[in-house]
Amino acid sequence: MRPQTQTFRRLTLADRIIHVIEWLAACFVGIVAADIFISVILRKFFNTSIPDSYDAGRLLLGVLIFWGIAATSYRGGHITVDLLWTSAGPRMKRFIDVFATLVLLFVVTVQTIMLFDKVRLTYNDNVLTYDLNLPTWPLFAVAWAGDVCAVVLIAIRAWRLVFHPELLNDEHAEERVQE
Amino acid sequence: MDFSTDFIAVAGFVILFVLMLLRVPVGMAMGLVGVVGYSMIAGTGPALKLIGQTSMRTVTDYTFGVIPMFMLMGAFVSVSGVSKELFRAANATIGHLRGGLGMATVLACGGFAAICGSSVATAATFSTVAYPEMRRYGYPQSFSAGVIAAGGTLGAMLPPSTVLAVYAVITQQDIGKLFMAGVLPGLLAMSMYVLTIAIIVWARPAMLPAGAARPWSERLVALKDVWPSLVLFAFVIGGLYGGFFTPTEAGGMGAGGAFLLGVIRRKLDRAGIRTALLQATRTAAAVFTVLIGALLFGYFLTITQTPQKLTGFLTALGLGRYGVLALIMVMYLVLGCLMDAMAMIILTVPIIFPVIVQLGFDPIWFGVIIVMTVELGLIHPPVGMNVFVIKSVVQDVSFTTIFKGVIPFVVTDIIRLVILIAFPIIALWLPGRM
Repeated sequence: MRPQTQTFRRLTLADRIIHVIEWLAACFVGIVAADIFISVILRKFFNTSIPDSYDAGRLLLGVLIFWGIAATSYRGGHITVDLLWTSAGPRMKRFIDVFATLVLLFVVTVQTIMLFDKVRLTYNDNVLTYDLNLPTWPLFAVAWAGDVCAVVLIAIRAWRLVFHPELLNDEHAEERVQE
Repeated sequence: MDFSTDFIAVAGFVILFVLMLLRVPVGMAMGLVGVVGYSMIAGTGPALKLIGQTSMRTVTDYTFGVIPMFMLMGAFVSVSGVSKELFRAANATIGHLRGGLGMATVLACGGFAAICGSSVATAATFSTVAYPEMRRYGYPQSFSAGVIAAGGTLGAMLPPSTVLAVYAVITQQDIGKLFMAGVLPGLLAMSMYVLTIAIIVWARPAMLPAGAARPWSERLVALKDVWPSLVLFAFVIGGLYGGFFTPTEAGGMGAGGAFLLGVIRRKLDRAGIRTALLQATRTAAAVFTVLIGALLFGYFLTITQTPQKLTGFLTALGLGRYGVLALIMVMYLVLGCLMDAMAMIILTVPIIFPVIVQLGFDPIWFGVIIVMTVELGLIHPPVGMNVFVIKSVVQDVSFTTIFKGVIPFVVTDIIRLVILIAFPIIALWLPGRM
C-alpha cells in the first residue's frame, strides 16, 4: 500500500502578506497589554512611570485595531447577520458574499482616503505626545497603513471570491492539504 | 431633489436592514448608511469629514482599550485550559449528586464566563468539555445541550462582560459600575439555573443520574488547580471595585496576569500565545468596526432626530413607563431571532437609550436588563446563537432537541428578568457602593 503523503500548498505572495499583517496586529495587542501592565506595576509599586505610556498605549491601540481590521476583513471575521445567507443555495450564497465584499471594499476605501486627511492634519498641526513631546503623526500613519492593507486584502478577497473561491476556503487550514 | 428628514430616516433604516441581510458587515452597513444619510441633510463635505475624525478618535480612545485587553485576558485563559480545570473542580465537588454534573456545568460556566466575558465562547468551550461527560453518565441529549446553552449566557452578565463594556461605551456610562452591576444578577442567574436543575431532579429523579463520588484527595487536587484563576479574577475585579485600577488598566493587568499564570504553570506555550493574540486581535477588530459604524450612524440619528421622535411616539402611546419597557423588551426578544447580541446592542441602544432616560429608568440598571434580554435571545427558539454554536460542536444532536432542553432555563430567565425589574437594587447595590 502506498503510504499517504502530505503536501503543502505553496504560499502565494498574497498568503504571505496576510500572515504578516495578522502577525503584526497580534504583536501590537501584546505590546499594548505589556505597556499597560508594566505602567501599572511601575506606578503602583515603584512610584514611577514609563514616559508617554498613556499616549503610546492609545496610539498603539489605534494601530492594532486598523491592522486587525485588515486581517479580519480578509478572513471574513466581521460581525454579520447570516439569516438569509444560511438559508440560501450555493449560487445565492456566492452572490451575497461577492456583493458584501464589494460594499466592504467601497466603504474601507473611502475610510482610508478620509483617514489620510486626518494623518495630514496631525502632521500639519504638529501634535505632540504629553511627556516627551514626540510627534504623534508617525503612529497615526502606521495606523493608516493598516487601513491601506485592509483595502488591498479586501480587493484580494473580492478577486478570489469571484475567480478562485477554492483559495479562500483553505485559509484556515494552514495551507495543508492531503494528497 | 429634496427629501424630508423623516423620509431619509425611514429609508436609511430600510437600506440598513437590506444591507445587513445581504451580509454586509454590521459596522460597515451602519457607517455607510450613517454617512450617506448625514450627507443628504448636512452636505457631502461635513459627512466625509466625520469618517476620518470618528474612526481615528474611536480607535485611539484609551478608555476603549478595555475591550481588547479583557478579550486578551479571556483568550489567554481559554487557551490555558482553565475551562477543563473549572469543570473538573466543580464536578469533583458536586458531581456525585443527582443532577450534580449539570450543576457543575453551570458553576464552571459561571467561573469561566467571569474570566472570558463571552457567551458564545463559553458555550463553545463547554460543548467540548462538559457535554461528553454528561452523556457518559446517561444525561439526556436535550438536557446536556440545554444546560450548556444556558450556562453560556452567564458570559455576558458576570464581569468582565464585553457586551456590558460596549453598552457603557455607547451610552457613556462608567464601565466599572456596569461591571459591578452585573455581579449580583450573574450570581442570581447561576443560583436560579442550579435551582432549576434541582427542580428537574425532584420532578424526574431518573433523568439525571448521580456521577461517581470522588475521594477528598481528588477533590482537593481539583480545587488546587483552579485557585490561580479565581485569584486573578478577584485581583482584577477587586482592583476595579476598589478604585485601584481604571477599567482599561484592569484589563491590561488581567491580560498580563493571565499570561504570567499560563507561562508559570506551563499551560501556555508559543503556539498558545500565538493563538490567544490572534484570537483577541480578530475579535477586537470586529467589535471596533461595529463601534465605529455605530458612532457614524449615531450622527445620522441625531441629525434626523430619530430618538426624540421615537421617545415622543412611545410616551404618547399611554402605556406607562413599564408598558414601554415591556414593549422594548419584546422588540429585543424578536430581534434576538435575527442578529447576535453585540450587533443588537450597538444598533438599537443609541435609539432606545434616550427613551429610557426620558422615562426615568436608571441607565446602569437598564444596561443589565437589556444585556439579560439580549442573552435570552441567544437561547430562545427559533434562532439562538448559543444553540447554533453547540450544534456546530456537537454534531449528533438536533436543533429541536437542544431547544427542548433549553426551555426550562428560558422560563427561569424570564422569572429572573421579572425579579430584576421589580427589584432594581439587585443590580444597583454594588455600583452604588463604589
